[in-house]
Amino acid sequence: MSAQALLEVHDLGKRFASRAGRDSSLWVIRDLSFSVADGEFLTIVGPSGSGKTTLLNMIAQIDVASGGEVRFQSEVAPINDPKSLNPGLSCRIGYVTQEDNLLPWRTMLQNVLFPLVVQGRLNDETRARAEMLIRTVGLAGFENHYPHELSGGMRKRASLIRTLVYDPPVILMDEPFGALDAQTRTVLQEDLLRLWNLGRKTIIFVTHDITEAIALGDRTLVLTRAPARVAGEHKIDLPRPRDIRGILTDPKFIEIYQRIREQVQ
Amino acid sequence: MPGCAGTETPTGEKMATQSEFSAPPGENSSRVGTLIRSRGDQLLVLIALFAIWQACSLWLGTYWVGSPWGTVVRLTTGVLGGELLSHASFTLAEAVIGFLLGGIPAVILPFLLRRLPIVTAILDPFMVGGYGAPKLALAPLFILWFGIGIESKIALVAITVFFIVYFSTLSGIRALDTKLVQMAQIVGADEKDVARHIVFPGAVPYIFTGFRIAMPYAIGGAVVAELISANRGLGYLIQLGAMNFDTTGVFVALLATGIIVFIGNTAVNVFERRLLRWRPPSDAKNQSGT
Amino acid sequence: MTSQDTALDLAQPSQVKWRQYVVTAGRIVLAILLVAAWKIGADRAGPIYVADPFLVANRIVTDTMSGELVHHVYVTLRLSVIGFAIGCFFGVVLPFLLRRLPRLTDAIEPYIMASVGIPKYALIPLFILWFGIDDAPKLWLVGLLVFYPIFIAVFAGIRNVDRRLINMARVMGASEAMISREVIWNSLQSFFFAALKIALPRAISATIIGEFLVGNAGLGFFIEYSRQNFDTTGVFAGIVIATALVLVINSVLVRIDRRLNAWRPTDRDMEL
Repeated sequence: MSAQALLEVHDLGKRFASRAGRDSSLWVIRDLSFSVADGEFLTIVGPSGSGKTTLLNMIAQIDVASGGEVRFQSEVAPINDPKSLNPGLSCRIGYVTQEDNLLPWRTMLQNVLFPLVVQGRLNDETRARAEMLIRTVGLAGFENHYPHELSGGMRKRASLIRTLVYDPPVILMDEPFGALDAQTRTVLQEDLLRLWNLGRKTIIFVTHDITEAIALGDRTLVLTRAPARVAGEHKIDLPRPRDIRGILTDPKFIEIYQRIREQVQ
Repeated sequence: MPGCAGTETPTGEKMATQSEFSAPPGENSSRVGTLIRSRGDQLLVLIALFAIWQACSLWLGTYWVGSPWGTVVRLTTGVLGGELLSHASFTLAEAVIGFLLGGIPAVILPFLLRRLPIVTAILDPFMVGGYGAPKLALAPLFILWFGIGIESKIALVAITVFFIVYFSTLSGIRALDTKLVQMAQIVGADEKDVARHIVFPGAVPYIFTGFRIAMPYAIGGAVVAELISANRGLGYLIQLGAMNFDTTGVFVALLATGIIVFIGNTAVNVFERRLLRWRPPSDAKNQSGT
Repeated sequence: MTSQDTALDLAQPSQVKWRQYVVTAGRIVLAILLVAAWKIGADRAGPIYVADPFLVANRIVTDTMSGELVHHVYVTLRLSVIGFAIGCFFGVVLPFLLRRLPRLTDAIEPYIMASVGIPKYALIPLFILWFGIDDAPKLWLVGLLVFYPIFIAVFAGIRNVDRRLINMARVMGASEAMISREVIWNSLQSFFFAALKIALPRAISATIIGEFLVGNAGLGFFIEYSRQNFDTTGVFAGIVIATALVLVINSVLVRIDRRLNAWRPTDRDMEL
């Protein structure tokens, strides 16, 4: 892990106007600061309603901030003005959202190739990479299925590799496995770790599940209730590669879990 | 439906997701300002429309384009003199009677057929054909059969309305939530109770969607039949005005037609709102109009 | 529709098959009954009121052979297609332009929606007055009648596009044009096709109505001319052809829709 921060968040804030008639506006996030190092797997846990999605939307530049700044490699992202937003920061920040957001009219393969097509980077090499990723997550044979013909877990995998295929330096993940059953979820977590080991991308992974946050991350941030701030920071020095199923009984895991548990109200 | 982003108090994660693309760091004043500005814009457009109308009538002459003021005057005198009212009520009578004659069987039939899926399936292609067929093209036939009086117009309106309402009622019955039926049966409802308390209330919104779609067709159908052949009614007035190069007269008749459509729409909406008070205030259904 | 029918009774396949036979037989019987009723009606009411179905069939054949009917159908179709193209063009392009001009959209939307309620057919005499007795008044009529459903569908469709898909495409580096083409256009398709299914048949019936009132060729002219000459067989023949034309186009559209929108989870019930 290098000390150089790849992405920095400084005093970030977001407020929403309240219903007409009431004058106080609500801060969902306020004065939030943290940074992510190159190649780091950062997980963020917080109670639901702590603005986790909003935070990622702002970092991904699809939502404006009400204050503060986001820096990518020391370059300040234009995040305070809706007109100058640059979603994805020129394809350098990938975003795996809570819903799979696959394009329903494209087949699975076409969906995975979609970013390459829009970026004009579809060639033999990238196509081979896409095929490799499809095989890695066990989707081979389903290339020509439409999203509605795939199971929830399969759609999730497709949306995951759709972001991995164009290899953005930072990937944001917003509870990507939230809606899945426990079994599928564990399998996908293993898949994700395996994929991460291939490339060691920088990942910011948001979840409300403490177990997931510890099992996946190098470091875990705990957020407070709205307005969200950093309540605590925990280094997860569990050895890698990790065994997702076995880790739960690891005494070290239990110790970290309890520390985080206390901070999440 | 539009502009819902960010107006709610963000109490949960979902809200926060919804509010992507909310107004920039929300100030209430800016939102109210937007509303005022948009109303102002709408008023401006209205004034511009009238200005264009007036300009056209000045430029081309009232012979081609009746002036706005002239139209208003003629509308008032027409209403006060009773002549316009009598033509309008003739058209309205055609539309209403035809609407009832076509609409009532169209609501009842699907309920009768509910327990007879085979009969419904047999009828289906014929109904689809009737729905798709160009009913207005039947106008000459009805005039041939029923003469140029009110009967031919009623027939045309009735057949137009029938198929529209039939299919919306049918889709209402098909959209029935089987879980609700099972629940009713478990608490001891018989077939009649189910029809009355579950199927019918569930189908009412669909029936009204059908009514709302059919309403302009009913008035349009009556007017078209009058255009082709009649000696009374708004369609006749339009035709008469056009033949005498009296554009103001045409405008007045058109305006009266528009007003009738508007009244009809309002009536359907009011009636629907009374019947559907239980429904959560949902997003307005968008339908394709006339 | 049929999928739901079959879902209702999860009976054994043999029973489903048996049911299918009954339905088909019932349809044939009903069709025969309708023709028989028509025939009896013709015999009872006399040839002035109801034309004999066999004479009508005969008439359609002879007039088709002589080329007269073909000519009328051609005239009607040509006008419908041109009018449709005009209305469709504006109906699609305008919402895409308005998408970029939210302030203008807000300002004119109530007036557009109010104008939906005007019965367009009532405008024909005015169009004749203004644009003469050639194709122009009919084109205006057809164009307007096609414009509205398409415009409303595309407009509503653009509003209903899943913002998350647009965001996703943006994050992945898609340009505005790319988003319009890929995300918005594809999301629109079901709306667009629903409107098309309304608009295309409507274009043909609008042309026919226009021809009732003005012109000297086309199916509408053929029907109305026959009526004025008490040629009931001609009226029936014309109406049969007009109906057949519209129904064929309908079914072709349904088929194309199904093929183009294979990605959709289920064939949603046609929204009326």
